[in-house]
Amino acid sequence: MNKPVIVQSEAERRAKNIRRAYAILPVISLSLLTALWFYASSSKGSNFPSPLDIWNRYLLFLEKPIRGLSLLGHIWASLKRVFIALGVAWLIGISFGILIGWNKKANALFGPIFTAIRSVPPLAWVPLVTMWFGTGEFPQILIVFIGAIMPVVVNTQVGISNVYQIYLNVGKIFNASPKQVLFEIAIPSALDAIFAGLRTSTSAGWMVVLAAEMLGGKSGVGFLITRGMDSGDYALCLLSMICIGLVGAFLAIATITLERIICPWTVKKSS
Amino acid sequence: MSEYKVEVKNLTKYFGTLHVLDDISFKVKKGEFVCIVGPTGCGKTTLLNLLTRIYMPSKGDLLIDGESAHPKKHNLAFVFQEPSAIPWKTVEKNLSYGLEIKKLPKEVIRERVEKIIELMGLQEFRNAYPHQLSVSTEQRIIIGRAFAMNPDLLLMDEPYGQMDIKLRFYLEDEVIRLWKELGNTVLFITHNIEEAVYLAERIIILTNKPTTIKEDLKVDLPRPRDITDPEFIKIRQYVTEQIKWW
Amino acid sequence: MDSQKIKLELENISQSYIVDNKVTDAVIDISFSVKDSEFLVILGPGRCGKTVLLNMIAGLEKPVSGRILLNGEEIKGSDRRIGMVFQKLALMPWKTVMGNVEFGLKIQGKDKKTRQEISQKFINLVGLQGFEKSYPHQLSGGMKQRVGIARAYASSPEILLMDEPFGQLDAQTRYAMQNEILRIWETEKRTIIFVTNNIEEALYLADRIILLSKFPAHVKEIYEINLPRPRDTMDPEFLKLRKIISENTDLAL
Repeated sequence: MNKPVIVQSEAERRAKNIRRAYAILPVISLSLLTALWFYASSSKGSNFPSPLDIWNRYLLFLEKPIRGLSLLGHIWASLKRVFIALGVAWLIGISFGILIGWNKKANALFGPIFTAIRSVPPLAWVPLVTMWFGTGEFPQILIVFIGAIMPVVVNTQVGISNVYQIYLNVGKIFNASPKQVLFEIAIPSALDAIFAGLRTSTSAGWMVVLAAEMLGGKSGVGFLITRGMDSGDYALCLLSMICIGLVGAFLAIATITLERIICPWTVKKSS
Repeated sequence: MSEYKVEVKNLTKYFGTLHVLDDISFKVKKGEFVCIVGPTGCGKTTLLNLLTRIYMPSKGDLLIDGESAHPKKHNLAFVFQEPSAIPWKTVEKNLSYGLEIKKLPKEVIRERVEKIIELMGLQEFRNAYPHQLSVSTEQRIIIGRAFAMNPDLLLMDEPYGQMDIKLRFYLEDEVIRLWKELGNTVLFITHNIEEAVYLAERIIILTNKPTTIKEDLKVDLPRPRDITDPEFIKIRQYVTEQIKWW
Repeated sequence: MDSQKIKLELENISQSYIVDNKVTDAVIDISFSVKDSEFLVILGPGRCGKTVLLNMIAGLEKPVSGRILLNGEEIKGSDRRIGMVFQKLALMPWKTVMGNVEFGLKIQGKDKKTRQEISQKFINLVGLQGFEKSYPHQLSGGMKQRVGIARAYASSPEILLMDEPFGQLDAQTRYAMQNEILRIWETEKRTIIFVTNNIEEALYLADRIILLSKFPAHVKEIYEINLPRPRDTMDPEFLKLRKIISENTDLAL
């Protein structure tokens, strides 16, 4: 007996085939969307670029960089800002979140102020930030930082203040000091909430960087959109939008993978 | 038309190359109370999932009144380990839920629900909500709901799980009382051998994976059963021998 | 093993809570003593207050009145000499088996080598050698409980409290674990206070059984169990005792 025989009933085979069919659905919807796109862009009097236009614009970009940067260069410019802002936001955000989640006094002191500040959308900060720091790399990164830090703090605080009582009981039984409870119990148990905050901050940061660039940048994918709009180069706009979507998806996957590596115990068993 | 209400025929299940259930066959008469016991890890969950049609078998089938069991055609009721009362309905509404789904006439529903409430002594809980009840009372409601549906087959999977023994015996007596009154066909799956001997007219003993039927045992003791009765003990010892792995 | 030395003493322990602006008694005037190295079982129907009682002994709750004496001295709050095994989900999912077992030792400040040595001894004792690097979510229910037992043992408590540790296991795995805990107790003798709602389990394990009433809990009766071990749950003597205790137990619907 070389190959193990798989026994299946008719009903099972049918169920399996139905599941296989599901895999085709995204392809179908994507093809339909592209077909719709071709139709919309080819109708009379339409400014809407067709997929072919986008492709050509991409090729053109390869030959003629904009503001001295290739497409990849702009993508990297945006990403760089996001990474720097995220790095700082995560560090400060997690620390601050732990502080107000763990310490009642700190929560009373800083909590309300933070809640008020948090309600202000990051982009509303643009005028102030521009006034203080002008237009340049730093203010752009600062805006992204503001957008990214909020979810990190909120989620961390919730995670720390909602540790299961039973884990705290275990700490009590073993006579752990408050500091030990914080580092050995509270923070590890809050990791999945913290990561939820990190994931949200990543997507928030990516969206904010584009807006910040649109408002006064000289490089980056958001800047490309503004450039395209100003010069009626809608193919450039759409091309940038596609890149934005792809990079956004990639960032999301990266953060999820990071969580899987650092927190193997949060792997949910399905079935 | 056979005298058998339920027939499990050559039930076999593979998950890929993993052989979980192997050629399980047994017949159940109308109104019989059958217990299924097996060693821990014997694939009872898989068997259950096949009987509730969550999975389809690799080979064989479950027949009710001679036809392949189908939730739409047949009246199947389930009671699981965790109480599954609908939180936003009162006890009375919960009891009538299954009947309302089957679109039975209002009079019939009211009559059946009243009967269950009387049989189980639930009058004072009629208008209570599940979260106001203890776990055991909630589970009793679920069982009442299942019996109220007058099902072709009532499947119970260790409904008394972790309740204390005194409560367990009380509830087991209640199930027997309901069953005797209403005459439904019951398949009761449990790991607890004493419980099986206490309840069953017949005990089906399963093996380890690939799971098959080791023995189909008749339990002919008068009710109410006495766990200290030497006959009871003998049967319990025998079944334990067949299963014991600890 | 026949030592009559009293390890733990409860004097008039009571507990009550304020629920909806009303005072609700949970535990009423409970007094009993626990002998050194005995296997004491506290038996009571569901939700009678036995966990509250255990929490007070463990120092997780403070009684409204009464004293608890360990080795003749009153103790207040949690004491390192009293360890606990919980009913469910008390293993830290982010730590491996070894990480969980050595937790108490880490809190005490022991160095890594000592911690691992001691922990390994108890991991072996509970039969989990080879699983040191596994995470709780990879283990079965019975295995998780064994980790809990090893963790409690590792910090060398004088008394072990067990709060319905097998309550979430199926009937057969429960039998297996009962044999396990007896074996572990015979190998590493400690005073054990074991809480359960299962009369058969209580009779199988106990030197003495303290029977509590239904909520609010008070002591109904104390039984001395003199059956030789290993006990047979289908032995006529055993079943007779079971019937006696069962008739004395309250039904808690």
